[in-house]
Amino acid sequence: MTTISGTAAGASGAPAIELRSLTKSFPPRRGSHDERVRAVDGIDLLVEPGEVVAFLGPNGAGKTTALDMVLGLTEPTSGTAEVFGRTPRVAVRSGSVSAVLQTGGLLRDLTVRETVRMIASTYAVHAPVDEVIDRAGVSGIADRRVSKCSGGEQQRLRFALALLPDPRLLVLDEPTAGMDVTARRDFWETMHADASSGRTVVFATHYLEEADAFADRIVLIAAGRIVADGPTDEIRSRASGRTVSATLPTEGLLRAVERLRDLPGVRSVEERAARVVVTASDSDVVARLLLGELGGTDLEIVTAGLEEAFMALTGDDRDGPGLGGGPVDPRGRRMTALHADPTHEEELVR
Amino acid sequence: MNATFTLLEMRLITRDWGGMFFTAVLPAFFYLIFGSTVESRGQSIGNGNVAMYVMISMAAYGAVTATTSIGGTSAVERQQGWGRQLGLTPLADSSYIAMKAVIAMTVAAVPILLTFTLGALTGARGSAWTWVLSAVLCLVCSAVFAVYGLLVGTAFRSEAAVGAASGTMVIFAFLGNLFIPLSGPLLTIAKFTPLYGYAGLARYPLSEGYLSDGSQDPLWLLVLNVVVWLLLFGSAAVYFVRRGRERQ
Repeated sequence: MTTISGTAAGASGAPAIELRSLTKSFPPRRGSHDERVRAVDGIDLLVEPGEVVAFLGPNGAGKTTALDMVLGLTEPTSGTAEVFGRTPRVAVRSGSVSAVLQTGGLLRDLTVRETVRMIASTYAVHAPVDEVIDRAGVSGIADRRVSKCSGGEQQRLRFALALLPDPRLLVLDEPTAGMDVTARRDFWETMHADASSGRTVVFATHYLEEADAFADRIVLIAAGRIVADGPTDEIRSRASGRTVSATLPTEGLLRAVERLRDLPGVRSVEERAARVVVTASDSDVVARLLLGELGGTDLEIVTAGLEEAFMALTGDDRDGPGLGGGPVDPRGRRMTALHADPTHEEELVR
Repeated sequence: MNATFTLLEMRLITRDWGGMFFTAVLPAFFYLIFGSTVESRGQSIGNGNVAMYVMISMAAYGAVTATTSIGGTSAVERQQGWGRQLGLTPLADSSYIAMKAVIAMTVAAVPILLTFTLGALTGARGSAWTWVLSAVLCLVCSAVFAVYGLLVGTAFRSEAAVGAASGTMVIFAFLGNLFIPLSGPLLTIAKFTPLYGYAGLARYPLSEGYLSDGSQDPLWLLVLNVVVWLLLFGSAAVYFVRRGRERQ
């Protein structure tokens, strides 16, 4: 692997984002006996200029921490982060990257326009204040105090601030968190209108439909690692599937579970009380085996909701011991198929 | 330095009427009550008179209330995410601090100017250089309490704590020999409290360290008090800033 350095490379050939073995751990809370929390646990990622990438993962997956390192707001514990071939701080100072932060605070007593003017004054060169106010759709509330703006309006203001340096890379950390459905749709419409300029956009979200609607590529993150990475359609088709469940006789149950697991296309087999629940891409094969050879009764076939499938795949199962926080195989981080991670699949089986 | 940024920050401060009242108006009001109405106001002390002594004390109280509040507010707004927002801009930490220092000094100058103007109108008398020097000392040394505000803001991370820190200035002012002339054991204790050295220094051009009970504070004691408290506030602030950064 060649290391890209120098301003010439930074200007043209370098990837928008390059993360190498990135980790970040935090010291435990005072007075607790926990070990250091590994928020980001070894991420390798390459984002090319012009890509629109979604970081998809449940709360606490490490998305914000990873993006903080891309923006130079947090130093990595180990590994490196580069933006257009330069360190994040240099990229931020030159205005080639900016962001809409989930927790980016605003001064409550300033008006919307004053906030934009204030941040604009920190750049040597910036887009005209009225222009970004217009593009972010806040011209109607430009003279309103920030404290009087709704969450969605404040988020648009942050978007206006992010547009000031006309960045080549725009990072959005859960840009629609806390917005209602209408505000969320409006926000993404504004984003769509702006995206034509060929900007690289990386956004974190835990709404699958947002990733689906806006991103070309989805990077699925769970427990500080990338568990899947690929074009949006591919991830979506992997994430969907059907759940087949049936009641099985208790004798020979273990063997039956083994049989089900060996079927092609089966992603997980779970025992819930007297029932087995099988997630698989080919539900017919599973149903046939369950009703025929295995002597199952009360068969039920459900098309798994995207949200459910996603939750299962990222290991966010609250009553699953050993899930989520459990050890994850370090191999194969950059994969295109969710089921290609055998360790993860085993974890889903109880 | 960034004029737009600084001016917008100033506008923000003037919008906080409650804060402006406590920093600017209250000390001037205290002066009118304690300084311009006491019988002994015309009595001469050192290079001026009693009214001037009270005037400097109240101006000093107002200045530290202002700097404590600005230091504290800066710390709290940074931690409530504004620091992250600024972290996305080319603004360097050093220019941010420089701007905040200019703002703190400007706001601290308000109660000093107001109280000194009222003093001049209501019988405070002293030599010209006493006026100038005490005003400058009031202003410059009040910066120590911007660090105190910063410390409280960083440690407790809330606007309420900063309000309380500004409020505790009343107690420190009392112990700092600013409101009532102290004597006996209380005066001995007072000499170790944070406002004592500052107030003594501000009044030094006038009183040359002499107190109402006839004793005299040497200049080194006043300077030592200011330096020691600055170091204490400074190192505690650094500790809390580092702890906060680790947990980000």
